[in-house]
Amino acid sequence: MDEISALIDGELDEREASRQLSRTAQQEELRKCWEMFHLIGDTMRGDCRLSPHFSRRIAERLALEPTILAPRRRIAKRVTAYVLSAAASLSAVALVAWVAFSANPLSAPQEVAKVQAPPAAAPVTAAPQLASIPSAPGQGNMSEYLLAHQEFSPSTALQGVAPYIRSVSASQPLQNR
Amino acid sequence: MKKVWAFVILGLSAAGVALADLQEGFTLLKKMANASRQLNYSGTFVYQHGTKSETSRIVHYVNSAGGEFEKLEVLDGPAREVVRNNDQVTCYLPATKTVVIEQRNARQLPVLLPERMTDIAENYTARKAETDRVAGYDCQVIVLEPKDNMRYGRSFCAELNSGLPLRSRTINEKNETVESFAFTQLAIGGSFNRDRVKSKYAAKSQNWRVDRSALSASESTTDTGWVFNNQPAGFKKLTEMKRYIAGRAGAVSHIVFSDGLAAVSVFIEPRPQGRSVQTLTHQGAVNIYTRPHADHMVTVLGEAPAATIMQIANSLELRSSTAAR
Repeated sequence: MDEISALIDGELDEREASRQLSRTAQQEELRKCWEMFHLIGDTMRGDCRLSPHFSRRIAERLALEPTILAPRRRIAKRVTAYVLSAAASLSAVALVAWVAFSANPLSAPQEVAKVQAPPAAAPVTAAPQLASIPSAPGQGNMSEYLLAHQEFSPSTALQGVAPYIRSVSASQPLQNR
Repeated sequence: MKKVWAFVILGLSAAGVALADLQEGFTLLKKMANASRQLNYSGTFVYQHGTKSETSRIVHYVNSAGGEFEKLEVLDGPAREVVRNNDQVTCYLPATKTVVIEQRNARQLPVLLPERMTDIAENYTARKAETDRVAGYDCQVIVLEPKDNMRYGRSFCAELNSGLPLRSRTINEKNETVESFAFTQLAIGGSFNRDRVKSKYAAKSQNWRVDRSALSASESTTDTGWVFNNQPAGFKKLTEMKRYIAGRAGAVSHIVFSDGLAAVSVFIEPRPQGRSVQTLTHQGAVNIYTRPHADHMVTVLGEAPAATIMQIANSLELRSSTAAR
């Protein structure tokens, strides 16, 4: 159980993580634990936008997907990335969108769009039908991009959080969205 | 003959001094980066850009395990708070009841590694300058002069004992300050207290709108299929990934370039309908250029001159072999 917690928090190294992931895949008890921890995390973050049996229905949808004709190793890697992105506390909806994006581009998006169509969808990320999110013209919402950029800037290493003020500066459109 | 030797010795010692200066400059830079990460401090700083200035309170704490916790609280204008911990940045915007969360990837932290220092040395000359006084502390000025006009110069003033940067200025080719951060009051040290780095909106924001950005895969970099045929000298690709950005429909390609000190981010998203104009704006030292590219909208931003940003944006191409994907 502690191992699951460490996995979700991204505290395991690559080898430990993949070992733990395959163990989790094999043991129902660990899987339940994994689900429970995410549910707790989501609830604590006030992120409970998913309908009951969300993951079961996703699994059913995925089972209906056409088989991906690719070497086995690559598939395995995708699954790892899928689970790791869950570990990175992505919201489950983003996860669906990620699947849409990384699976077969010809058939997957429509499938997933259907899954996501119910109001369970959070207005947070991705998915074509969410394009109606109001977006200011001209400069657009540069705050999110500034924020995303900031963490890669060496100046952040030199100055800590101070440069983040650019992302929330009063002249930013983030304020009047 | 004696004269020649005199010149040689003079030349050698001058080069030696220059090299020593350079090395000292970089040693101070490293000390500064370590101090920012490892010290507890709290204070008030002023952010200045153009004719505007904003005052903020900042608290930085490191726990015994080396975990970093920071809080930035803007004191002027609408209330805003940014809380940063090891792997997450959270912005609280009470005016619009919005929380913006940026999930970081611990493995991609912009730590100033020795190889990065080599990059800095290729593009800038580091020089130890005069001593100054900021927020009541004596500090050492370190100047980083760019070797060409593709990048801005920087000037830091690092506290004499700890090396903590007390002032940072970004300087353009006309020697004008485009942006500056400076402490006006500061306390270095103090014991750990998590409460001081928690947002006062943490509880209140439970029902606020949440905008979340995250990396799609926390693992390695991915090939986005985009290439750059004419990137500015000295800028190397740091990382490339597909990710989610709050408020953007679909996955966004994010490619980061750096010359060791400045970073430039390229974001490529599906083009929203009706948006086809080019725009060039800036936020302090960060220039932001947006342009359409076929079915995509390209946004390039970074703490570099507009010409550099635009050159990167204009050299972008979809690699033909992956164009069909």
